[in-house]
Amino acid sequence: MGFFVTWRTGNIYLGILISLITGALMGLLMGIVSITFKAEQGISGIGLYMFGWGLSGLLFRLYVGAITTIEGLRPVKIPGLGDIPYIGTIFFNHNWLVYLAYILVPISWVVLYKTTWGLKVRAVGTTPEAADNLGVSVDGIRYQCLVLGSMMAGLAGAYLTVGQANMYADYITAGRGFIAVALVYFGRWSPLGILAGSLLFSMADSFQQWVQVLGISVPYELAVILPYVITIMALAVSFGRVWAPAALGRPYERGTRG
Amino acid sequence: MKKWKRILTILAAVMLLATLAACGSKPAADTAKEGQEKKPEKVRIALVLPSTVDDMAWSQSMYEGLKAVQEKMGKDKVEIAVSERLGNAVDAGAAIRQYASQGYDIVIAHGAQYQSVLQEIAADFPKTTFAYGTGFQTAPNIFAYDPQAQEGGYLLGILAAKMTKSGITGIVGPVESGDAIKYNYGFQQGVAAAKPEVKVRIAYTGSFNDIVGAGELAKVHMDAGADILTGSSQQAVGAIRAVAGRSGKYWLSTDMDQSSIAPDTVLAAQFYQWEKVVTKMIELRQQGILGGQHLVLSTADGTLGLKYNPKLADKIPQEAKDAVEKARQAIASGSLKIELPKEQPKKEEQQKK
Repeated sequence: MGFFVTWRTGNIYLGILISLITGALMGLLMGIVSITFKAEQGISGIGLYMFGWGLSGLLFRLYVGAITTIEGLRPVKIPGLGDIPYIGTIFFNHNWLVYLAYILVPISWVVLYKTTWGLKVRAVGTTPEAADNLGVSVDGIRYQCLVLGSMMAGLAGAYLTVGQANMYADYITAGRGFIAVALVYFGRWSPLGILAGSLLFSMADSFQQWVQVLGISVPYELAVILPYVITIMALAVSFGRVWAPAALGRPYERGTRG
Repeated sequence: MKKWKRILTILAAVMLLATLAACGSKPAADTAKEGQEKKPEKVRIALVLPSTVDDMAWSQSMYEGLKAVQEKMGKDKVEIAVSERLGNAVDAGAAIRQYASQGYDIVIAHGAQYQSVLQEIAADFPKTTFAYGTGFQTAPNIFAYDPQAQEGGYLLGILAAKMTKSGITGIVGPVESGDAIKYNYGFQQGVAAAKPEVKVRIAYTGSFNDIVGAGELAKVHMDAGADILTGSSQQAVGAIRAVAGRSGKYWLSTDMDQSSIAPDTVLAAQFYQWEKVVTKMIELRQQGILGGQHLVLSTADGTLGLKYNPKLADKIPQEAKDAVEKARQAIASGSLKIELPKEQPKKEEQQKK
């Protein structure tokens, strides 16, 4: 959607806005299915994923017709910092969505751990009964989370099309969203952990690409799985118990105990 | 609350049924129409694709070939049905079986991955013709088609060697199999034949449809110094876009002419004439031959060709074009043979079959 609007209007910002709105609508749909109707989330999630894939493919064919490229976002060099050799190009020469992603990490952390709303979010995820007793609307908060989270997913999709690939083609995500879900588990449901996991995964991925390009003699199959292997190993050897919200995936119904 | 929920559930179910009915009604109408004007000589062809008919690569090239056949023979003579996004061979199996039981004459499963699933299904439908490729293993009612991707790869390799300024060329590969191996092998030999000192760097994404990943890999190639890039499969479009984002870098296409994605970046393209292959299958079927042949797409019979992007034609020196043309003629006449890895059958063996 974001791509379509950008392509039609030539305005990337409008495209990104539309991606956020589309994401919010998908989140709302997921909310109706899994919160109001209390459907099994894993299954309804797969259903919604297929719906989204099919719908985007259909709309693409109907309204765009053929693979089309766009100008996309330009890298913004941060004055001063961007001129530092090596580090400058790695960290300070990206389009602004990349910076936004980094900025969102501390913001999410503050919101989740330092605000009343964040406390409510965590409460409805771990002990919805207690939250309900204290007068927090469990369904309401869960709806808000889903819509917000889906808007972020929409933003991520917009990043792929207008920020990175600068084009749209069927199945452009190639299952990347599932890596994101896995990284949430890896990061133990904390924004900082997820940032660390993402960096580890993407650095390993970038490393294996360079290994291949420079012709270092490694079977490419091994190179391609390297990021996954490293992520699993890091998860296996890291300390502490893997923590997940107690009420994860469990619909809340008043008067029952989960 | 409960009541409301029930009403909504029923409403959702009705909507779902309505959608299903809407989807179902179109083919039904088609068959009804077909019943009225059905002629015995009408050929019904079903096509099963790993990606979509507009992927600007492998799948689209075959779809356009089929369309061209239909155009030439007449819409009343050829009926086409297409199923897309069936890269998973098991999912594709269900569609292939369904087409066969619906009485389609020729079912084309467009990918190397469908080989084993076709062997299984074809035995149950001895009167149906099946086809797949890239491959060479056939059965009495299975055609295997086999683009000699190494030939175009060789020619593009020569072009790459003549065009590179940095002395480094890069291949953004999908998975090391099928025509990707052939193409890369040919490309390497073409480069080596023209300028042995030019480097060919090969890297794979491990996927056929990771468009963003292919783009990233192309960027790494360019960061590492490559200025002429190439690569097969439908994900190549992502790499082309990445190459187009930088100046002085060019892309060489395979599968089909991809210059419409990036007119200032795609120098030349190897393309396949699926039209001729499909026509041949129809003719063989009319003669009573349902399969068992290994159909080779090659430079020699014109089913495989090379095309320059007219917009960039003046960027290519005449000397490079001459070298490519000389090699093309040598390949077509059979005096130049391109070595392939051992798993692939040699061309001579193929022709005997």
